[in-house]
Amino acid sequence: MREQNPEKNGGLAGHSRRDFLRGSSLAAATAVLTGQAAAALEEAQAVEAGTKLVSGEVEILLAVNGRELPVRVEPRSTLLDTLRHRLDITGPKRVCDRASCGACTTIVDGVPVYSCTTLAITCQGKSIETLESFDTGEAGVPHAFHQHDGLMCGYCTPGFVTACKALLDQNPNPTLEEVRQGLDGNICRCGTYIGVLEAALAAAKAMKGA
Amino acid sequence: MALTWPENPRLIGTAVPRLDGLAKASGKAKYPSDVHPEGMLHAVMLYSPYAHAKVVSIDLSAAEKMPGVKAVTAIAKEGTTLRYQGDDIAAVAAETEEQARDAVRAIKVQYEILPHVVTEAQAMAEGAPTIARGGNVRAGRAVVRGNPEEALAKAHAVIEGTYSLPVITHVCLEPHGLTARWDGPDKLTVWSSTQAVQVVAGELADAFQIPTANVTVLTEVMGGGFGSKFGADVWGRTAAELARATGRPVRLFLDRVQEHLAAGNRPSATARIKLGADNEGRLVAMIAETHGTGGSRGGSNFPLPYVYDIPAQSRTHSEVFVNCGGARAMRAPGHPQGCAVMEAAIDDLADSMGIDPLEMRLKSLAEGDFRTPIYEAEIKMGAELIGWRERRKPRGQNGTGPIRHGLGMALHQWGGGGAQDKKVSCTINPDGSVELKTATQDIGTGARTLLAIIAAEVLGLKPTDIISNIGNSTFPPGQPSGGSTTSPSMAPPCLDAVTRARDAMFAKLAPTLHAAPEDLSLKGGQLWVKGEPVMPWKDACRKLGMASISETGSFVEGLSSVGVGGCQFAEVAVDIETGVVRVVKIVAIQDSGLILDRLTWDSQVYGGIIMGLNYGLFEERIMDPATGIMLNPDMELYKLAGASDIPEIVIRAYEPPEQKARGVIGVGEPPTIATAAAIANAVTNAIGVRVAEWPMSPRNVLNALATASKEGKA
Repeated sequence: MREQNPEKNGGLAGHSRRDFLRGSSLAAATAVLTGQAAAALEEAQAVEAGTKLVSGEVEILLAVNGRELPVRVEPRSTLLDTLRHRLDITGPKRVCDRASCGACTTIVDGVPVYSCTTLAITCQGKSIETLESFDTGEAGVPHAFHQHDGLMCGYCTPGFVTACKALLDQNPNPTLEEVRQGLDGNICRCGTYIGVLEAALAAAKAMKGA
Repeated sequence: MALTWPENPRLIGTAVPRLDGLAKASGKAKYPSDVHPEGMLHAVMLYSPYAHAKVVSIDLSAAEKMPGVKAVTAIAKEGTTLRYQGDDIAAVAAETEEQARDAVRAIKVQYEILPHVVTEAQAMAEGAPTIARGGNVRAGRAVVRGNPEEALAKAHAVIEGTYSLPVITHVCLEPHGLTARWDGPDKLTVWSSTQAVQVVAGELADAFQIPTANVTVLTEVMGGGFGSKFGADVWGRTAAELARATGRPVRLFLDRVQEHLAAGNRPSATARIKLGADNEGRLVAMIAETHGTGGSRGGSNFPLPYVYDIPAQSRTHSEVFVNCGGARAMRAPGHPQGCAVMEAAIDDLADSMGIDPLEMRLKSLAEGDFRTPIYEAEIKMGAELIGWRERRKPRGQNGTGPIRHGLGMALHQWGGGGAQDKKVSCTINPDGSVELKTATQDIGTGARTLLAIIAAEVLGLKPTDIISNIGNSTFPPGQPSGGSTTSPSMAPPCLDAVTRARDAMFAKLAPTLHAAPEDLSLKGGQLWVKGEPVMPWKDACRKLGMASISETGSFVEGLSSVGVGGCQFAEVAVDIETGVVRVVKIVAIQDSGLILDRLTWDSQVYGGIIMGLNYGLFEERIMDPATGIMLNPDMELYKLAGASDIPEIVIRAYEPPEQKARGVIGVGEPPTIATAAAIANAVTNAIGVRVAEWPMSPRNVLNALATASKEGKA
C-alpha cells in the first residue's frame, strides 16, 4: 500500500485549480462547466479538510445495503467494479461502462447514480443501496417487474428496477410521462419497455397500498 | 393414442410469470459474468487498434512483469494479419481487472499498417486497395425465373429505386465471454454467456482435446445473444487456456468497444430494384441487383423477392469485403433487409400508379400458399386497428405544416420450426418434487418457464411447483436458442417426458388404490380416482416409496409446426424542418400456432417490434473511411431507443382454432422483421418523398427532402 501525503510530496496541495477557481469568475465557471467546477471545488475543499491522497490499493469502508463492508480498492476503482468484483454484489451490471445505459444504477445517499462512473473512494461514509436490498414482496418494485414481465434476458433489469425505486421514492404518484422520463437514463436491448412501464405504474400503486 | 396438446388447457396459453423473473428483478440471478469461483483471475483482451495491419513483432515480457499478472498469452503471432479494428491480439490474466488492463497496455506490438477499406463505397471505389483474395467484390450469379426483361417491358407501370440499410451490431447487454475453471487435467467447467451450451462444450472439448462429456457449460441465465452467441469463440478458448496455464479460474468478458467491433453484426444491404405491375396492380416482374457487407468473411445475402409472388424475376447479389468484424446471425438473419427493400419498392410502385399499397399487396400474394389466407386475415385485422381506410391519405397529401403524419405497412414471414432430435427428462421424486432437465438455455424468451407450464399442465400442479433445470451442457440434448426453434424443438419432448412420467406413476400407484391406471387423474394438486380427489400430490408421491420415476421424452410428430406470416402497420409524425421522426403507433398481427405463455409471447412480440424500431430509426455502425475506426462503439452515439421513444404498440395474435391446431411454432424472430420497413413507408407517406436510406434519422430524412427539392419534387 502506498499512501501519499500531498503536503509532503508536493502533490495536489501545490495544485493551482483551487486558486484558479478563486481567482476566476465562479459564476462563469458554473454556467459553463457546472459539474466539473463543482467537482474541483469539492476536491479543493477535501484537500483543505486534510483528506489524504492515495494510490495503489487501500482499505476503505463502504456502507452497502445497511452493512459496513471493508474492501480494498484502488483510487481508480469504480463503485460498480468494487461491488461486483471485490464484494460479490453482482446485482448492478456493467454494460456500456460509460454512463449511457443505466444497467449499473445504484442509489447513493438517496440519489440514483451510474456506479460505472462513480469512484468507490468517493462513496465512503455514504449510504449505498443496490437492488438486492429491495423489498421482494408484493409491495416492492421487483415483484411488479416479475408480474408484468418487465424483463426478458434481464441484464438491464437491475438498473431499471433501481431507477424505478429511486423515482418512486421521490415521486410516489408518477404519471406515465413521468415514469418514461424517470427511466430514460436506462436502455433495454430486448425491448421490454412495455412491461417495464406497466410494472413501474403497478409498483407505484402497490407501494401506496403497503 | 397419439400424444396431443390438451383440448381445454388450464395453463397453456395463459399469462404465467417467469419462474426466474423475481430472481432477475431482484438482482439475485447469477449471470455467467456474475460468477466468482474461488481464486478467480480477471482476463482482459488486447485487440487491434487498426483496421488492417500486420504484426511485425509482439513482446509480452514487460506485461508479464506487471503487478498481479499471472499469465499472458499471444493470440496473434509475428506475421499475423489483423483484418479489422478489434481483431484479437493477446490476453492477460491478473489478480484484478485493473491490473490486467495495465498489463495489456504494457504489451509491445509493432505493427505494419496496411491500406484498409471499411465502407462499401471505399471497397468498391476505383483503385481501392484489395483486401480479400479474389477482390473486394465477389459478384454473384443471377438467379432468374421467367423473362423479367420482357415482362418489365410489357408491364403497365415500372419503378426503379435504390434502397439501402447500414450495418448494425447486436449490442448484447451482457458481453460475450465466459469464466473457465479446470477441475482436473481433462475436466473443465465454464460459465458461458451463450445461446447454445452444447455447442460451446463441443468447441472447448475440441480445442483442448478432451472428451465433451468432461466439459460442463453452465448458463443459468444469460444477458442477450440475438444470434451472436453460439460459440466459445477466441476469447472463450483463451480464457480456458489462461485458466489451464495459471491453475486458477479465469474470467474473460469483452469490453463494450470490442463487443461492437468483433462480436458480430447484421450485414448491410443495398438493392437496386426495377419492379413492374400489370394494370390491376399485381406485381409481374422484378430485376434486383443487390450488395452488402458482412465484413471480411461475407454472409450478406438476404431473401429477395420477399413474401410476394412475382412471376418473372432476376436477382444478383454481390458480396463486398471490408476491414470490419465479421457478421453473425442476427434475429431473423437477412429477413429485415429483404423485407425493407421489397416493401419500399412495392410502396413506390403503388404510389406511382395511384393505387392503395395495401391492395397491391393483397393482389400479389402467392395463390395457393398456406400463408396467403393468414396474411389476408392479418391485414384485415391490422388495417382496422390502425384505421387504414379512414385515416390514410395518399403519399404527399398529409398537410402543409411542419409536422406531417403518415401511415405505412409491411409483411414478413419466418420458419420457426423445431429440431426432431432433442430430449427432455422428467423426474418425479417421492418427496413430490418434479424436475425437468434438458441442455437448452433461456436467451430471454422464457424457455425455462414454458417447459414448467407444460409439466404443470399435465401433472395438475402450479408452474412454480416444477424445477425446470436447463442451461447445463451435460443434460439430455437440448436445442440452441436460434431461428425461433427452441420452443417447437423442446415443447414436444417435454410433453412426451411428463406424460410418460405421469403414466409410469399411475401404473405404479393404481394397484395400491385398487384401481386401474386409467381411473387415475391429476388436478388441482390432487390425485383423483374415478373422478374423486383421494389425496394431495405429495402424499401420492410418497407412495412411490424409495424410487423416483424418471422418463425421457422425444420429439413427437404433430405437436409443433413451421412457417408463420405477420403484418405490421406504423403511424409516424415527421418534422420536415428538423428531420426528426417520431413513431406514434405500431400495430402488429402475428401468427405462431399454439401459444404456451401469453405473457412471454407478448414480450417477444413487443421486443421484436422495439428492436425493429431501433433498426428503423436509430441504429448504424459508423466507420471512418480515413482512419478505418468505428466512430460509435458505445451506447451513446450508437443509438438505441429509451422509454420516451416507445410509441403506442398494439399487438394481436392471429390464432383461430386451425392455427392453434398446428402446435407450437417459435415467435422470437418474426415480429422484428417488418417494423423498420413499415416505419420507412410511413415516413415516406408522411413527407411525400422516399427516404431510401435507413435509419430514418434526421440526416437521411433531410437529405431525401433536399434531393427531392432540387429535383423539384417537393
